[in-house]
Amino acid sequence: MISLLKRLSSIRLTLLWMALLGVGAALSYDNPVDTPAWVLVVPLVLLAINLLAAIITNPSINRRGGLLIFHVALLGIVVLVAFGRLTHMEAHLEIVEGTGFDTDQLIDIRRGPLHSGKLDQVQFIQGPYTVNYRPGMVRGLTHSHVQVPDGSGGWERKVVGDDRPLVLEGYRFYTTFNKGFAPVLTWMPNRGRVETGTIHMPPYPLFEFRQANRWTPPTATEEIKFWLQLETGMDPESAWVLDAAQSRGTLVVRAGERRVELQVGETVRLQNGVLKYERLSSWMGYKLYYDPTLQWLFLTAMIGVLGLAIHFWRKFAAYPWPQQTSGDEKKTQMPGHPRGLNVALSGLAMKAGRSERE
Amino acid sequence: MVAEQPWLYTAMAAYALATVIAIRGIVRARGGAVGAAVNRSYEPLVLGLISAGVILLVMALTERWIRIGHGPFVNLFELLMSQLFSLGLVLSVVYWRLPVIRPAVIVVLPMMWVLGIWVLLLEPTASAFPPTYYNKWLWVHVGVGKFFLAFSLMGSGVAGVILLRKISRLAPLFRHMPPDSVLDHVAWRFMLLALIFESLMLIAGAVWAQDAWGRYWAWDALETSSFLNWLLLGAAIHARLTYRIPIHIGAIAILGIFVFAFMTYFGTPFFSEAAHKGVI
Ligand code: HEM
Repeated sequence: MISLLKRLSSIRLTLLWMALLGVGAALSYDNPVDTPAWVLVVPLVLLAINLLAAIITNPSINRRGGLLIFHVALLGIVVLVAFGRLTHMEAHLEIVEGTGFDTDQLIDIRRGPLHSGKLDQVQFIQGPYTVNYRPGMVRGLTHSHVQVPDGSGGWERKVVGDDRPLVLEGYRFYTTFNKGFAPVLTWMPNRGRVETGTIHMPPYPLFEFRQANRWTPPTATEEIKFWLQLETGMDPESAWVLDAAQSRGTLVVRAGERRVELQVGETVRLQNGVLKYERLSSWMGYKLYYDPTLQWLFLTAMIGVLGLAIHFWRKFAAYPWPQQTSGDEKKTQMPGHPRGLNVALSGLAMKAGRSERE
Repeated sequence: MVAEQPWLYTAMAAYALATVIAIRGIVRARGGAVGAAVNRSYEPLVLGLISAGVILLVMALTERWIRIGHGPFVNLFELLMSQLFSLGLVLSVVYWRLPVIRPAVIVVLPMMWVLGIWVLLLEPTASAFPPTYYNKWLWVHVGVGKFFLAFSLMGSGVAGVILLRKISRLAPLFRHMPPDSVLDHVAWRFMLLALIFESLMLIAGAVWAQDAWGRYWAWDALETSSFLNWLLLGAAIHARLTYRIPIHIGAIAILGIFVFAFMTYFGTPFFSEAAHKGVI
């Protein structure tokens, strides 16, 4: 058993598996969709086996505290990353101002087979948001206002955006560049229930000229086409702020042969009912990310680097840096060195020619 | 001419003068009888000039910061300027504290000149500060990254001496330095320090990426390149411990790792569409 472990722990194998991992990483360069995950997984598993065997059998590692901590941390990172992939979850969602988070809003969901978080307990209400733009349509800071439960039955206001995600139950919600307008409409059918809802327009200002969408009311057969003519203060040449509260939108409604321009508060009678344009609202696109290992990964990596630092500290202290004897005065003839050499025979110089690990 | 340029030009002039004086001093000291005193009187001047260059670059960076409203983190012009500052800073400390390897400065300074000439050829256009750059981890990531590059450069300077000594006409220039076996240890010691800082750079980068883009690692061009660099350095360290690698091969490996780091820093973000730049 020990001899098998010893063979598995060979540093020659380490170098081989590292080369393989290098190839895997190079194949994953720029994250091409057609590169399978095993190009990374296989070398990582091989390295982990090799490292575990070395940690058990090789006194060069397991007798030296700092180095041991570092290598155990490397192993820990591989294990945590693997666990993270099995338990992670990623998704996107678009949420309209004034509405609450609901798992039904999630799209592009990807999750590991062992994912089991408390997503059903996540609650927040999307408020208004602003996005600053610099001259040349360069996107600046996003301030997205949300309300989250304060733990005592009420709601607490928070502002998130860009690199400040909203973190609830370990789920992290990041604002994205994907955001836009959503006219709020009330549909009063000739027969049936009155309903109020929103029509998502395409992302703004990305699709500034394609602010259109279509909808067929539940009891109707005729599709309604919407086109939103926006006044947002957008100016490609100078700084401006995208803010639904400061924007106005004329809603062009087309149903069959009819074409009507609605301002906020106006209604139009269509074949199957009456449509009212209540107000202009907005939606924000979030990226959802969940990985229970994040803090542990950070901690493990930092402890690993600390271990490495301790190892080097000891090593450097045992063999100090070579020192010059003061100025030009005295020379020390180094054995085996043909010429005069004004290097003090400090540890490092004495050990020269021998391996530093000795 | 914009505000930072006069400072930048003067800083480059200081680095250039330091190079010339160091080369002249070392060339003059190459002869002399064995055991005779070596004239090192030029060294304080070289140290003074490198330090002056560093201070002038601080001025240039400050002027630019005031002019464009944010730190040197975005475009190539400011990144090069900032690296010239940090590399110079580490070089001046090493030059001051480790007199025994001072002659390596005639390898290190010309390597820095690649950045120096490059920055002088670029337009000092103002850059836009991306929203995700307000994160405090940017400072940690960039800060430790600077030490990684600087220690790799120091290692490369010493490795360069080992290799230049192989050329018989140049060998006398470095005869006052310790033997290759000692230099080999010094060079690798710098690379070990570089490994610590590169590891920290990867960690800080991952934390920032998690905050900024909602994922800590995605094999984007810059991430992949710096990981390969880290792996290469780790593999080289193990290879050196396992096999009796000839000193000059080790020196070539150090230079290779530095060149890789150089390409990662100054090549990847500007030639790859999907590097960090693309997803800010
Ligand atoms: C994955 C399998 C690995 C194994 C089996 C392994 C094994 C070893 C062993 C046995 C030593 C002690 C060598 C000696 O002093 O004789 C060592 C040292 C070291 N290893 Fe690893 N290692 C692995 C991965 C890594 C990685 C990925 C890195 C970083 C990139 C790394 C960095 C180091 C460093 C910095 C030293 C100390 C070198 C010195 O003291 O000069 N190791 N490793």
